[in-house]
Amino acid sequence: MRLAWAMAGLVALAGPAGAHPHVFMETGLEVIRDAEGRAVSLRVTWSYDPFFSLVLITERGLDPDGDGRLTPEETAALQGFDMNWDPGFPGDTYAFAGEVPVALSGPRDGVARYEGGRIVSSHIRDLDWPVAGLLVVKNYDPTYYTEYTIREVLAEGCTKEIIAPDLTAAEMALQAELAKIPADVDVEMGFPEVGEVFAQEVRVICAAS
Amino acid sequence: MRRVLTLAGIGVAGALALVWVLGGFDALGRMATEAQRAMQAPLAGAVRAVQAGEPAAWVGLMVVCFGYGVVHAAGPGHGKFVIGGYGVARRVPMLRLSVVALAASLAQAAVAVGLVYAGVLLLGWGRERMVGLAEGALAVVSWAAIGGIGLWLVWRGGRGLWRQRAEGQDPDDHAHRGHHPHGEDCGCGHAHAPSAAQLAEAQGWRDTLALIGGVAVRPCSGALFLLILTFQMGIGAAGVAGAFAMGLGVAVVTVGVAVLAVWSREGALAGIGEARVWRVLPVLEIAGGLVIAAFAAGMIRALW
Repeated sequence: MRLAWAMAGLVALAGPAGAHPHVFMETGLEVIRDAEGRAVSLRVTWSYDPFFSLVLITERGLDPDGDGRLTPEETAALQGFDMNWDPGFPGDTYAFAGEVPVALSGPRDGVARYEGGRIVSSHIRDLDWPVAGLLVVKNYDPTYYTEYTIREVLAEGCTKEIIAPDLTAAEMALQAELAKIPADVDVEMGFPEVGEVFAQEVRVICAAS
Repeated sequence: MRRVLTLAGIGVAGALALVWVLGGFDALGRMATEAQRAMQAPLAGAVRAVQAGEPAAWVGLMVVCFGYGVVHAAGPGHGKFVIGGYGVARRVPMLRLSVVALAASLAQAAVAVGLVYAGVLLLGWGRERMVGLAEGALAVVSWAAIGGIGLWLVWRGGRGLWRQRAEGQDPDDHAHRGHHPHGEDCGCGHAHAPSAAQLAEAQGWRDTLALIGGVAVRPCSGALFLLILTFQMGIGAAGVAGAFAMGLGVAVVTVGVAVLAVWSREGALAGIGEARVWRVLPVLEIAGGLVIAAFAAGMIRALW
């Protein structure tokens, strides 16, 4: 029985939650720092894929002539379209001071535009406290309905790197999780949460200024 | 020749296992994701071309939709999982499982069309509500049906084992007095009930419908997007045709999975030797059913 559960878990590795994405985003991140050089906010810029952009634009009745451009009035009507978050929605963005999770505020200063057939939407999230030293940011949808790819990180005066998910490590993590479950426990109750390990990781280290 | 081909299935099974161990399916999943991302721009372009009334735009849309179906089916999904699992667990003929895979993909497209047009015309629903239903309640129903198919395999495998034991211990009793219970899948050939072949046929059809229903009840989000978008653009017919083109693209992959699953199973069974196959079949059925049921339970829990 345990073997079957382990196999089921490994089958799940074929893709997070056994799902495949239908919406694709390209993410740009900007780390905003205070006077002492600590990270205080993140500007998150999402570029929606062309097909989902077309779906969003069409269902709002925008760009009826299909030329891929909006009038100023239409651009005004687009503002805030993706900023109505349910309370507690983490916004698919997660920040850590080293290993410690840092809560993020709700989105502010949202701006959206439509260019080249893609909606580009950005907003700012404030970190719960200013982070000096290593800041880790991830951008992922736990259900993997939306796929995020971080393309660009701006952090002036900081070292930064984007680390690709290591699926072999992710596999080992799941196997380790499965091994931790005692034999007499119904594995279903403790099915490990592993979606996060499939996400890219941005590591930014800012020197104090 | 036929036997050689069947035995080659051992190689197929071995190769699939090797690919899996080496992380090949992860690599395939990543390639599929890349291809899926790359499809988004051509799909938007093809829909715009139909809207603009460009010549041959319909052909272009059908080609792109077909390709969309192929690359989305190449990523992880519930259809391949249950069809492949069933094909390994149960001794189903390759042609029948392939037809099931094709029918399930097309039925899935039909469900998407039905959901979107019932949603927009009868219920006045928006996109988010329809996609929410598909990714929420319908996904749960689909995984519950798939889990049910897994448990049904376990149950039948268990009865097969039990019957083997009963027959092995007292063959005379089985042959002459028939004290064992006659279930619907007894399959022991007594004449006082429908023949084993008839029963197998009836069961085959019941399984077929369960497999198609379990897969089809959850429409693909991509098809929903396309149908809603084309309806709003006033080119709904193109969207309906495109949804079925996506279904055909999906079927290319699921039929391939069906063929590989049956081929691997038959190859492995041929390697064991026909004399021992009947002993192994119930065990295979239980193991396959358990994996299917366990995975479905995990998915439902994740969705809850």
